Amino acid sequence: MTAPAPPGAARTRPKARRQGWAGPLMALPAVAGLALFVALPFAMAIGLSLFNVRLDSFRPPDFFALEQYRRILVSPDFSGDFYRALGNNVLFAAVIVPVQTAAALALALLLNRPLRGMPVFRTFFFMPVVFPMALIATVWRLILDPGPDGMLNSVLGLATFGLFSPQDWLGDAATAMPSIMLLSLWQGVGFQMVILLAGLQGIPRQLYEAAEVDGAGRWQRFRAVTLPGLRNTLVFVALVTMILSFRLFDQVYILTRGGPDGATSTVMYLAVTTAFAESNVSRAAAMTVVLFVVVLGLTLLQRRLVTQEREIS
Amino acid sequence: MIVRSKRTETRGALRAVAALAAPVLVLAGCGAGGGQADPGDGDGTITIWAHQGQDREVAALQDAVDAFGDANPDIAVELTLIPEADYTTTVTTASPDELPDVLEFDGPTMASLVYNGKLSPIDDFVSEQTRSNATDSILAQGTLDGSLYGLGMFDSGLGVYGNAALLDEAGISFPEGMEDAWTAQEFTDALADLAAKDDDGRVLDVKQNYGFGSGSEWTTYAFSPVVWSAGGALIDGDSADGALNTPGTVEALSLVQEWAGYTDANTDDSAFVSGDVALSLVGHWEYPNYSEALGEDLVVLPLPDFGHGVKTGQGSWAWGVAGTSDNGSAAGAFIDFLMADDQVAAMTAANGAPPGTKSAIETSDLYGPGGDLSLFADQLAATCGAGPVTADCVAVPRPVTAGYPVITRQFADAFAAIWEGGDVAEALDGAVTAIDTDFADNDSFTIS
Amino acid sequence: MTALADRPAAPTRARTPRRAPVRRLHPRVRRGLDYLLMGTVTLLFASPILYMFIGSLKPDDQVLDGLAGFVPRHLSLDNYADVFARFDDPSTGYFLDFLGTSVIVTGVVVLGGLVVNSLAAYSLARLRWRGRDAVLVLVLALAVLPFEAIAVPLFYLLNDFRNTLAVQSVPLVANAFSVFLFYSFFLKLPKEIEEAGRMDGAGPLRIFVQIIVPMSKPVFATVAILSFLTQWGMFLWPVLMVNDPAVRPLPLAISVYQGQPPFAWGDIMAFGVMMVLPMLVVFLVFQRWFVRSVATTGLKG
Repeated sequence: MTAPAPPGAARTRPKARRQGWAGPLMALPAVAGLALFVALPFAMAIGLSLFNVRLDSFRPPDFFALEQYRRILVSPDFSGDFYRALGNNVLFAAVIVPVQTAAALALALLLNRPLRGMPVFRTFFFMPVVFPMALIATVWRLILDPGPDGMLNSVLGLATFGLFSPQDWLGDAATAMPSIMLLSLWQGVGFQMVILLAGLQGIPRQLYEAAEVDGAGRWQRFRAVTLPGLRNTLVFVALVTMILSFRLFDQVYILTRGGPDGATSTVMYLAVTTAFAESNVSRAAAMTVVLFVVVLGLTLLQRRLVTQEREIS
Repeated sequence: MIVRSKRTETRGALRAVAALAAPVLVLAGCGAGGGQADPGDGDGTITIWAHQGQDREVAALQDAVDAFGDANPDIAVELTLIPEADYTTTVTTASPDELPDVLEFDGPTMASLVYNGKLSPIDDFVSEQTRSNATDSILAQGTLDGSLYGLGMFDSGLGVYGNAALLDEAGISFPEGMEDAWTAQEFTDALADLAAKDDDGRVLDVKQNYGFGSGSEWTTYAFSPVVWSAGGALIDGDSADGALNTPGTVEALSLVQEWAGYTDANTDDSAFVSGDVALSLVGHWEYPNYSEALGEDLVVLPLPDFGHGVKTGQGSWAWGVAGTSDNGSAAGAFIDFLMADDQVAAMTAANGAPPGTKSAIETSDLYGPGGDLSLFADQLAATCGAGPVTADCVAVPRPVTAGYPVITRQFADAFAAIWEGGDVAEALDGAVTAIDTDFADNDSFTIS
Repeated sequence: MTALADRPAAPTRARTPRRAPVRRLHPRVRRGLDYLLMGTVTLLFASPILYMFIGSLKPDDQVLDGLAGFVPRHLSLDNYADVFARFDDPSTGYFLDFLGTSVIVTGVVVLGGLVVNSLAAYSLARLRWRGRDAVLVLVLALAVLPFEAIAVPLFYLLNDFRNTLAVQSVPLVANAFSVFLFYSFFLKLPKEIEEAGRMDGAGPLRIFVQIIVPMSKPVFATVAILSFLTQWGMFLWPVLMVNDPAVRPLPLAISVYQGQPPFAWGDIMAFGVMMVLPMLVVFLVFQRWFVRSVATTGLKG
């Protein structure tokens, strides 16, 4: 951060001076917007988390230093909820990242074959991506309905000749999070699939042909050509999915409100309810700062992994 | 021209950000405790926020608004309905200049609204007739520091509904009224006896399907009476320590923990009407469904007594005038209109709730003397009000304090943990610490 | 599985003695199996959507009805009429207002975003001015900041502007990630392009509008589609900032609708269909662009 700024080109043509103004002016609207609505709120998040600011209170806030952080990270009385929420985010990521990436890869491989009508299949696989999550959650509320008339219960009942007794998918602590995972997977997998499909199509044909001449079977070709060729794309997809996992909010808000008994609470959900229901803006801000540190850590991890890959390959 | 290094540029930027952020932090402390509406000249337009309850309630309210408009041609009324689940946060997050003139609110949230200047005293805006006709429990729930801030058209009643056929079949004797109410131990034994004769051993419904834990006001409403009845309290002054976590409340909630094993999860909300369970702990609102399903077999019983007398909940939605309103008289006229017999009768017919006025109770088939739900009216008539909770009073208002949001959240969380089989004392101590911390953070919510 | 008549296995190649002999299926059988597999997977993806469409045409009490929910019986457009009947009062809001809010907010964010973000990206990528590098570092740093991390303070900061169209759109117009996408595209353009314009004495703005924009259609399409997808489904921000039915966007409106008894599921599904139909039409018409724009995000990794 200490490198001197590049010297402005000292041109003498009058146009150059105009360009000197044009540059900052063209950048101004977006930069001003980012400063006002992204950088400032972020600085505020840090600022707020050091105080005891309450929404809707006439009392001037007290300076709390790191007390909010101590509470959510250390204190036995408040950290429980936070770690439970963070744990749910981690669990969600730990399941969704490998499963969704593998499913997206499987779909991409299915589509990457010379079969007629592939574009139609691709359209269907991708379609859920264009649905707003609020709508998907609403439709899945019906699918996951606890009664025997719920679509999932009904299908499972039929498949097991009535042996399966209806499950309260969203109301049972053991199945609530897996249910949220399932619908998130259904909605998001098409996005990753398209990225991986582009990656597959970027692998040079000659590599496959060469492998075939060497007598490699399908599985060996997959191991020796496809996976290495997709490595960067896979790392990217996995990390984007992981970052998205930490932003989980919409489905939880609509379907379970964090319940039953916190089984589906997430950091974002907890932060929003803390700011809203408890008017505790500062504690919520501290939570989002911690969330950001986690996401930033993952992003940096991604960059390191990718650059390492580049050095290796 | 000085060529500045990046470092100074960044520092300058940070300074600028800090300078921008500073006033925001200071602005947080604006307004003052306690709002006071301006009476205005009694006509013009009044804006109203109401919660979007059941369809029938909404229809009754819209009819009332129309009728008021017809009766008062020089006052125009603009009604906005806000979903029930988001109502309280909506009012909390609203900036003062956004508030309407007339504001509906859920009873226990009143004190924090007063604290933040969002409600005005209404003593001067509603008529003497309206105030004297309101029931004691409605007045108790709506009064803070000697001023009246809210009036409810209806109240709420809580008890145990029983299926007499199933109870008789199992040879369980049940109380006639409040005088011979079950003790907590008798109730628990009755559950065990019922369970012994039941297919799945699940004989009680406590509306677990409403959700237990954070954000569920039902949890606090339904189970804080256990605390009161055991001689404890949700909060005493500005501390929950020694009130919520007394040995008595620990013992009482340990007994309630045993109920969990006899409780039907009631996911499809039909455990009681289908005859799966013999007992259902719930409020007045289930009466229409229950009486339709069980007919003559339905009995309405008081909650069990944990040693300090039967206690029950009270309080529901109420109407107030926003602290920022400059139309207080017109807003008060609207509340007067709502609290008149016609409107109270129409609303309570729509939602089956106990009427909030003396005259409406007397004429009510359900709540009047000898009515099916007269028990709820009796419980409310014996309100503890703002006074101390004695062994003789029954209905207890939820704590009228600006710290109520954190109290209810923490109690509900602790109760959920207890219900799941957690350590009772530990759960209550955790709630106590959280509540006391919040009170300490906020100077005990005193309005200076 | 039915037994398959298959040809005798082809002799394996001598070069690969390790491989077990593969039983070759008749090509036609194999293709049949392929289509069966693809059809099954397609059904998994399409059935919730199909369920919603069929449900929107059925009586309310026959939507939540197990597998019978798929049986198209007693079809009518009544539910669509019911939606308009349900939202027929200022106190509940109007469906067309919800749609209007979503269209306006999304439109402002997408179109405004294309203009300001591309201008900034061009300036950062191709023009030289003092402080440019510092601004560039700052913008790229902001690109890793998820909206969620600033939602709470932003809500606190803008709380006085609740329930407006502006608060739903203006803060989201400038987007660091969009700037980044434009920037990486403009960076790759050959230097000679602007030279011709400079010879004619055109200023940077004119060069940008007349020369750069016409040749950058792909990146404009990518940014437009990605921000359209994000914005049309935006939920967290309206949850924080909107409670007035007059300026409720569609995602918030359906969340309110489905959480409020009585649950007229047919009507709710009809609401859902009307909410997603514009999206689906846009998607099916510009499908190639959609897929391409999503694919390019991956190539940035």
